[in-house]
Amino acid sequence: MDAVKTKKIGLVVLVVGLALVIPMFVTKPYYLHVITMCLLWAYLASSWNLFCGFAGQLSLGHGVFAATGAYVAVMLFNDYNLSPWIGMFIGAGAAVLLSILIGYPTFKLRGAYYALATVAIGSGAVVLIENTQTLGPFNMGGAEGLIIKLMGNAPAYFQFMTKQPYYYIALIMLIIIVIFAFWLKNSRLGYYLSALKEDPEAAAALGINVRNAKLVAAAYSAFFTAIGGVFYAMLIRYLEPHAIAGPLMSNEMVFLAVVGGTGTVLGPVLGGITLHAISEVIQFYFGHLAQGLHLFIYGLIVVFMIMFKPQGIIEILQKYYNRFLGISDRGEEDNDVKSTSGS
Amino acid sequence: MMYKMESLSVIVNGISMGAIYGLIALGLTLIFGIMKIINFAHGALLMLSMMLSYWAWKFTGINPYLLIVIIAPLMFVVGYVTERFFIKPVLDAQKDVREPIAVLLLTAALAIVLENLSLMVFGGDYVMAKTTVTDATLVFGGVTLSAARFYALLIAVVVSGGFYLFLQYSELGRKLRSCGQDRNTASLMGINVPNTYAIAFGIGTALLAVAAITLLPFYYVHPTVGGVFMTKAFIVVVLGGLGSVPGALLGGIIIGLIESIGAQYMTATLTTVIVYAIFLLILFIKPSGLFGSRLEW
Repeated sequence: MDAVKTKKIGLVVLVVGLALVIPMFVTKPYYLHVITMCLLWAYLASSWNLFCGFAGQLSLGHGVFAATGAYVAVMLFNDYNLSPWIGMFIGAGAAVLLSILIGYPTFKLRGAYYALATVAIGSGAVVLIENTQTLGPFNMGGAEGLIIKLMGNAPAYFQFMTKQPYYYIALIMLIIIVIFAFWLKNSRLGYYLSALKEDPEAAAALGINVRNAKLVAAAYSAFFTAIGGVFYAMLIRYLEPHAIAGPLMSNEMVFLAVVGGTGTVLGPVLGGITLHAISEVIQFYFGHLAQGLHLFIYGLIVVFMIMFKPQGIIEILQKYYNRFLGISDRGEEDNDVKSTSGS
Repeated sequence: MMYKMESLSVIVNGISMGAIYGLIALGLTLIFGIMKIINFAHGALLMLSMMLSYWAWKFTGINPYLLIVIIAPLMFVVGYVTERFFIKPVLDAQKDVREPIAVLLLTAALAIVLENLSLMVFGGDYVMAKTTVTDATLVFGGVTLSAARFYALLIAVVVSGGFYLFLQYSELGRKLRSCGQDRNTASLMGINVPNTYAIAFGIGTALLAVAAITLLPFYYVHPTVGGVFMTKAFIVVVLGGLGSVPGALLGGIIIGLIESIGAQYMTATLTTVIVYAIFLLILFIKPSGLFGSRLEW
């Protein structure tokens, strides 16, 4: 198995190495911005996947956590000059609290009812944010949104004049979440989650505290999503209630993860990068032909992926990956990338 | 006395808007009751019905209410075909999964496709079928009503009632309900379950077409109009009980009343938040809703 291990390490080094040198070749700020957004979406889809993919819950309201992180960090920065580097962890902490608050009553709901509750929470949050001008001493901006105070080139305040630093930060965030997801999947909690995904009653009968397992996983997911929200805010430098808390954000996370392959470590990463890149390319080259064309094609891709490749892009790549490693399709290494549980 | 009349017209307006919510929710509840699918494309299909009705009215100029006879069958076909070609394959693949979440996602993706297709074809403008009905009012014993809303109420009540009777007493209605109760047993009794599913989806979509036409004379149409109504329809359906026909109409009227009465005392947005809060409370306390079966959820 040593050859396999070498190949694996080689592949990881190759991918990370390529990712590290991309900014040296892509110098146009617009292109680098698009690539950074691809990484961010891969990161956000992975954050969603931590709970929803691994535990088989369909949350359509994850934008709430991104918004919590972003708004807390930005308000602390705008009004109290607190560096977003610190503020993002306070925002993430707030998102964790919120996830527990939401999780307690909602986790007893099953399947579709849980999804509906998250839709209502997401839509309610947008309305609430839109109608809150000030929260205590903080300015929330209401429906006009919140502009992030400009500091010039201030690395200590998460503001850079060029796009490169944002790219590298997004890359580091993505690497961290992949490592974390890999750890989570192979941890005790990860096994709990895949058990309760298959059958919650059976999992409970085996002595798993289903609600606690869900709460902890949801808290991790909310934490990472909130950090992603802060990054989004600092990159765009403008917070718009619909864009950060609304269905655009929430549904995008879900679709990217589903197209890539939910419940797997690398699926959401692949989905986030591929699908977002496709959508951007279509918008860039064909956007002038018809309004909404890129989203139309984007929707079609999601529809056909769900219909014909429900396990996601990762299912297609798995074969080539195995061939590359020189092991059979049903090899023991299967666990590495793809969940053996299937559904 | 004046005050009393005014509040009476607020109530009637609330009921009529609520009846439209109910009509929209009727299709949703039917599809859920029979197929156990939450249709996230419901709003987009409503938008499509409104768009088609608008353009049919624009070209022919006939009374929008008469368009029901064209648009409803057309939307039935759209729904039937959608079920056959998109939903059925995914549903079959997920046969053994207790909660077919993939289907839910599929309908959500279909909604994006439909919304952007109509943006491409019809453009993103806000349009409305301004007819003689649009600004007309009716006066009943001192209570002034918008004619379009009153007709909407009338149509909603008649269609919901008729639909209820159809489900209860017709042969097809019995087939539909039997598939909802237990599709395997229904299949053993010689019912063609896949076909019945497609018919259920078609009827649900046709009911949307009726709702679309009642909205046409007084509501602006644009590619994202469905979102507003879909969220309301979800709330209505959970309030009334997923799968319950009377629940849909009653739930719709309750939500319509909360909105119109609430609007008298607070901002419209605060009312929306209250509606969401009520929705969540019902989910947490009694997820089966007012009329839903205790066993369903």
